[in-house]
Amino acid sequence: MRTDEQPAGPSAAAPYRFAEQHTPPSPVRVSEVAQSTFEHVYEVDPRLMQEHVLQQVFPNWDTLRIMRSRHDHLAWMHRHFAEKVVTGSELLAEVTAGAAGVGNPQESGPEAGSISGSVAR
Amino acid sequence: MTQVQPDRASEEDPGINALSEPFTPGAPSNPPELADYPETLAGPIPPPRQDPKTAAFVEQWRNTSYNCFSSGHKFCREVCPVTQVERNESWTPTAFHANVVAMERGELDIADIAADYVNCTQCGACELRCPNTLFTGDFYRFRTRTVDVVKAVRSLAVESGVHQPNWQVWNERTDLRTHEPVLGETPVSQERVRDWAEGLSIPIGGETVLFVDCEAAFYRTSVPQAVAQMLQLAGYEFGLMGEQWCCGGPAAEMGYAEQAQRFARHNLDDWRATGTKRLLVLDPHDYISFTEDYPKYFGEEFDIEVVLVLDLLAQLLREGRLTPTVPVDRAITYHDPCRLNKRKGIWAEPRELLRAIPGLRFEDVDRVTQWSYCSGGGGGLPVEKPELTAKISAARLERAAELDVDTLVSACPWSERPLSEAGDAEDIDVVDLHELFAQSLGIAVGGSRGDVGDRRLAQERTGVPGRDRRTRGSGLGGCGGGGCGGGCGNDPGEGSGGCGCGGH
Repeated sequence: MRTDEQPAGPSAAAPYRFAEQHTPPSPVRVSEVAQSTFEHVYEVDPRLMQEHVLQQVFPNWDTLRIMRSRHDHLAWMHRHFAEKVVTGSELLAEVTAGAAGVGNPQESGPEAGSISGSVAR
Repeated sequence: MTQVQPDRASEEDPGINALSEPFTPGAPSNPPELADYPETLAGPIPPPRQDPKTAAFVEQWRNTSYNCFSSGHKFCREVCPVTQVERNESWTPTAFHANVVAMERGELDIADIAADYVNCTQCGACELRCPNTLFTGDFYRFRTRTVDVVKAVRSLAVESGVHQPNWQVWNERTDLRTHEPVLGETPVSQERVRDWAEGLSIPIGGETVLFVDCEAAFYRTSVPQAVAQMLQLAGYEFGLMGEQWCCGGPAAEMGYAEQAQRFARHNLDDWRATGTKRLLVLDPHDYISFTEDYPKYFGEEFDIEVVLVLDLLAQLLREGRLTPTVPVDRAITYHDPCRLNKRKGIWAEPRELLRAIPGLRFEDVDRVTQWSYCSGGGGGLPVEKPELTAKISAARLERAAELDVDTLVSACPWSERPLSEAGDAEDIDVVDLHELFAQSLGIAVGGSRGDVGDRRLAQERTGVPGRDRRTRGSGLGGCGGGGCGGGCGNDPGEGSGGCGCGGH
């Protein structure tokens, strides 16, 4: 996974130019079924959406709007409903230390699940 | 990861055994026998609709509608302005998609449902809040498309001869006059579309032109006047269109697609004729037309740069070419126009401008909370159902009144007429951000603020205050509500009236 060299994208209000909007950054493969374009933007391998449900025309502004709105929404949810917000690394540390009642109940051990980013509880 | 189904995993068929372990659909590393597993999820395909228009419509919109119908999250309901005030199950975003599914199955025809689709302002809240957009839309490049579905249903209705009476008259008059009949029985005309600019010495044509929407050009003329004077103050060169027609956006929103594209073609040809490369846009509805509709109509041919005036003003502010110095003694809150905040994610620049105005007490409501706010002025709703628009705008003003402000600032001329009428009942002024920023630059903004706005402004000038305005102006710069955190420069220890962030 690589995000450090990826563009963060123009601001939402930046001037609109058709050619720019329909030219996303070169994708970076992040798994065998997913790729990344802008920083924090992950997309399914488009080859997997060529049969039953086709991908829609997605100008860059729409991709960035959704990604940023998701972050805004999660932050809003944390502010309104979370007693506190902890990072995934803190949770993993607790699991490693054997703290009871934390982690993926279906599995055990520090490799359980794939927890990243902040988590509200 | 797809979880196995225990019953099937225990069977003997090797193809079924392939499901005994979790797998990621489409992953090259999956067991090859998975490819032999029979497709059992798809149901029978309904017979195609006989009417070719309906058949084409269903073919185009079935997937996005099933995306909603099969999910049933319904997070859309509480952000939908119509659902909030009406609670009519036939007028919800989920119903709008379910109807398409029913049409595919031959259970409904366009005439059965066309009137229901009037009840939408096309604010975009439902499709943004939908998890199929918010949490997976960018991943799959496939998101909820309620606004497009509503526009498509309305278009199918018009093509099928099913008209809503007020929309039909509105668009007939628009076609006749090349501008929307925003003055009611008083005709608008091509000859008067630049009347708002009288005395401002703005040239015609040029590389950069200012596009002024019908509502601002003929009704709330204070907005384009303020914009033009600010750009002139900054020394920013621009002109006006040679022959501006309505952008066509409202016609597209109401289902008159052919007319909308014809108007768009005229405008693009006019920009070509005057050598225009850049378009300045002050109205969020126009901004949607030029950044979403026109690119769909023209593809790569649409090579005009589209600049939102609010972004340009923020840039001029940062560069020091515009510096507000005149205090504005108002206690305000900001109404995020739907087409900027929800549909475009534009919320920062308006707050940047408001923070720069001295004297404001700014009670901000964050952009996510405002996903559920709307003026009710969009999508042709005030044309066909003004009473429903009034209910939605009244609800918006009730929220503003809870903040104990005397002014609601918007940045959308189409929102300002219904909001002003609702604001009058709450004794709250409705002011456009462009007007307010121009005032803080020392510009005497002329033109009309509409019937209610002009009356309240006259009352203010003769010493009749708005809602407690004179006793609540703080005289300090507002921090914009982002949580001052020291960033606004005001001492939080000075009390709640200090930075004006309202604690958000």
